[in-house]
Amino acid sequence: MMRNRFLSQALCLALIATLGLTGCKNFRWPWQKKPLATTENPGPIGLNTGIPGEQRPIITDANLDHSQFVADIVYFDLDSAKVKPGNVSKIRMVADWMKSNPGKKLVVEGYCDERGTAEYNRALGERRAQAAREELVHMGVDPSRISTSSYGSDRPADPGHDEAAWAKNRRCEFAIVK
Amino acid sequence: MRRMAYWVVLLGLIVRGMAMAEAQVVVSKNFVKKSFAVTGFTGDAAVAGQVTEVLKNDVRLSGYLALAQSSDAEFVQQGSVRADRGGLTIDCSVTEKATKRTVLSQSYPASAQDLRRAAHVISDDIVKAATGQRGIAQTKIAFVWTHGKAKELAVMDYDGYNARQLTYDKSISVHPRWSPDGRRIIYTSFLQTFPDVLEADLYTTKRRRIASFPGLNSGAVFSPDGQSIALTLSKDGNPELYTMNANGGSLQRLTHTAGAESSPTWSPDGQSITYVSDDRGSPQIYQIRREGGEPTRLTVSPAYNTEPDWSRPPSGSNMASMLAVTSRVAGRFEIGIYDSATRAVVPKVADDADNADPSWAPNGRFLVFTKTRRWRSRLYLLDVLTGEQVELPAVEGDASEPAWGPWSGNIK
Repeated sequence: MMRNRFLSQALCLALIATLGLTGCKNFRWPWQKKPLATTENPGPIGLNTGIPGEQRPIITDANLDHSQFVADIVYFDLDSAKVKPGNVSKIRMVADWMKSNPGKKLVVEGYCDERGTAEYNRALGERRAQAAREELVHMGVDPSRISTSSYGSDRPADPGHDEAAWAKNRRCEFAIVK
Repeated sequence: MRRMAYWVVLLGLIVRGMAMAEAQVVVSKNFVKKSFAVTGFTGDAAVAGQVTEVLKNDVRLSGYLALAQSSDAEFVQQGSVRADRGGLTIDCSVTEKATKRTVLSQSYPASAQDLRRAAHVISDDIVKAATGQRGIAQTKIAFVWTHGKAKELAVMDYDGYNARQLTYDKSISVHPRWSPDGRRIIYTSFLQTFPDVLEADLYTTKRRRIASFPGLNSGAVFSPDGQSIALTLSKDGNPELYTMNANGGSLQRLTHTAGAESSPTWSPDGQSITYVSDDRGSPQIYQIRREGGEPTRLTVSPAYNTEPDWSRPPSGSNMASMLAVTSRVAGRFEIGIYDSATRAVVPKVADDADNADPSWAPNGRFLVFTKTRRWRSRLYLLDVLTGEQVELPAVEGDASEPAWGPWSGNIK
């Protein structure tokens, strides 16, 4: 009992001393002294959840080649992740190329226009990417070759604020991993 | 002519008399703020001026006090600034006029470089002394700062000042959420091209991965006890709701729908998760027990409801716990509060702008949200009791997706 009292009193004194010191010196929140590390590796790839095989290949923007399928960008209606009939032929172009280039991997990126809320748009963008991916799989592409990504409304193709720009932003892009 | 002048004077006297009799300022039918006079501080004029300016703004934003002249005020502040052992000491006292009681008399160590912080500490003490309520002047708001093509995380004081950039990735960093102890922020990062959930420790400045599965990793939010994280993953199909341990591991899938789930927020007791699902077409708000099971649909109207956030007022507070929601009505976005009786969202901020992404202050009375007008986004505070909105000072570029930090992160 006595030891606990002494300990807690010592702790109180230490706390008061610390508070007194920080109060007198130039006060900065700790993170204001320097920015978050920018080049620091955030840790090993894939969180260890005990589920084997949950790995994602290391891909950076530099690895992604969008040029092959620039003409095959798939466009969507507002709030919708449904692949419209007019876009099926574009996906077929991508499927055919993938089947002719068996070693290559593909990333399907989903996007939204700015007229939704930010986080829900990330989910909607992902649904769009997955819808295009499903079509590709339907057409015979091995699903393990296709990754999806979603930027929501965070990366518009057209920075404008009208119907024409919005229509260009509700899209899926296809990129080959170099 | 003379008779009219007589009536005008009489009316004027009556109004003046009424104003003097009422020391309190009525802002809404059911809520009354106490009138408070800030007379400032004697001593160094520059220092005193800065502290007074911040203090007056804090009193204005407190929600419980209204600025008034000394002659009309229920409470009067006085103070002085003096040099002390290489730093400064700010003395501050508050007197209640009716009783002549000194409700606050305190000395605050400070330095010329952190006068804003000192004023915020004083302001919280003033609010406590005059009203018994815990003030929010020392809290922080994290947000997404857009400039050019990059979106970076930033943190500012609750009053919109002192904004500091957190990430310098020149990438896209979004959806910040605070840990309950205010030491860490989890967020969605495209630093490695795909959307991952990272955790940044504000004190060690180190970052670690929380989730980087194939597909979407986003929407991560800490449980009230800080032990768990709810988040959106699409690794097993379309975006679904999951929980996991805050330290990693114990990943558990909660939803199994054909639609997309997103935007989780924990119920105040930490036993359920409220989230968005578009399984029935347009996005609505649902709730599910944290162990999983059958989801319950909350909202039925309007047609598009997203980005829910539960308030967590402290126990003993006079605020009830409320669910704030972003709704889309006739193409515009509104902030509203969910009404469980009608299962509708009652609008609180509905105007010609787009208002989205509410985040509650720890006192459960204020929230911060994004108002986008002519495609420029700014952060605003809303006082849910009075309906008052306050625009926070603009940053260069856009500010969005705010997250109000907890009380416990403050050093006092």
